[in-house]
Amino acid sequence: MAYVIAQPCVDIKDKACIDECPVDCIYEGPRKLYIQPDECVDCGACEPVCPVESIFFEDDVPDQWSDYRKVDTEIFADLGQPGGASAAGPLAADHPLVAAQPEQAA
Amino acid sequence: MAETSTEGVGARTGSGTGTGTGTVEALTLVPKAVATQSMKDFKSDQEVRWCPGCGDYAVLAAVQGFMPELGLAKENIVFVSGIGCSSRFPYYMNTYGMHSIHGRAPAIATGLASSRRDLSVWVVTGDGDALSIGGNHLIHALRRNVNLKILLFNNRIYGLTKGQYSPTSEVGKITKSTPMGSLDAPFNPVSLAIGAEASFVARTVDSDRKHLTGVLREAAAHPGTALVEIYQNCNIFNDGAFDVLKDKQQAEEAVIRLEHGQPIRFGTDGNKAVVRDEMTGDLKVVTVTAENEAHILVHNTHTTSPTTAFALSRLADPDTLHHTPIGVFRSIQRPVYDTQMAEQLDTAIVQNGKGDLAALLAGNDTWTVGRAARHA
Repeated sequence: MAYVIAQPCVDIKDKACIDECPVDCIYEGPRKLYIQPDECVDCGACEPVCPVESIFFEDDVPDQWSDYRKVDTEIFADLGQPGGASAAGPLAADHPLVAAQPEQAA
Repeated sequence: MAETSTEGVGARTGSGTGTGTGTVEALTLVPKAVATQSMKDFKSDQEVRWCPGCGDYAVLAAVQGFMPELGLAKENIVFVSGIGCSSRFPYYMNTYGMHSIHGRAPAIATGLASSRRDLSVWVVTGDGDALSIGGNHLIHALRRNVNLKILLFNNRIYGLTKGQYSPTSEVGKITKSTPMGSLDAPFNPVSLAIGAEASFVARTVDSDRKHLTGVLREAAAHPGTALVEIYQNCNIFNDGAFDVLKDKQQAEEAVIRLEHGQPIRFGTDGNKAVVRDEMTGDLKVVTVTAENEAHILVHNTHTTSPTTAFALSRLADPDTLHHTPIGVFRSIQRPVYDTQMAEQLDTAIVQNGKGDLAALLAGNDTWTVGRAARHA
């Protein structure tokens, strides 16, 4: 179980959630932020601070963004658990589903 | 619980299980799990209710992630807590548990661990629960060396009651109950535990999952009482209390990572170190030079004397938290209470036979206070 970041984050990346996360598990991709599901401790600090309401508990993701439940998991398929976003640095590429999104204005 | 036969328990906890030295490997008497476990197996169906962002979530995740490693039967694991935010912990563990009386978790756990040696017993407590109302219970559990593992969540504040100063709050702490700053000198839980004869004392940080897990691993394997102080952020009433230890830049100078057998060095490229002051015998922090490099203290958790471990626990500045050692301070072998108690019971049975409690209660030293006696 973990929180996930859905479509509204694409091209916005406000990063307020990164400041709130007590375990540094929110990683930055070129177009979207991603929560490492195994490093997330389910504390929910990120959810209320997102200005575009993009963060949901896994089970509560609205139907139109249900694909995003697996996006945050799949992006870490090769990376595993880097153990902290600030040390690991930004991700090289987005998940294909995110990369295929039309550009979204802030 | 009903399935666990009392006969089996008696066999395991009664006769013939002592080693003669009073120390038994911490978990040798606890039955193993039949199947491989995962973190999911240790999550209960209860909704976790701490404030969003609380450090307790990180500790819970680390403990749930670590438990499968032990491979113990879940029904033989017990989490006992007292009162406070952290004491909600047992609800969220899919093991047996007890949300008990304020400060009394070590007392209840002592009874449980010494009478049921086939259980892995954990205490979850906070700085208020363990050090204020439960201070007495904590120190006596530590000196007895009962086979239980105490996780002391230290957020340096009373969070559940909305932010009064706690026994670990720094002097001058301004809270609702101390508008002009608290006057109390704080406890250093590690120093206190070492002073209370604890055989295993460690400190770790909520957000450092790797370190926290490593410390849990060593604590779980320790025969006797293990005290693990966990610096835990209360993001509502004492936010950022340990930021200096978590911020990558500041942590280099602030945190001293203790590793058994290693020279105690820290700072950028290990340019700082701990040495003994030749004049006073105390420990001090120095900048490493060619001259003093050979004198850097090598950390030894197994030293019988608690003196150096205590000196290490005093290095941290209670206000700025600079030079805070984390890791295992002390881990020594000494007789475990429950093993010795089991051996005494064995001996008593050999000498006197199996007792009869009912007969004892109604034995020679009982009498009836009757009417005649009152009027005599």
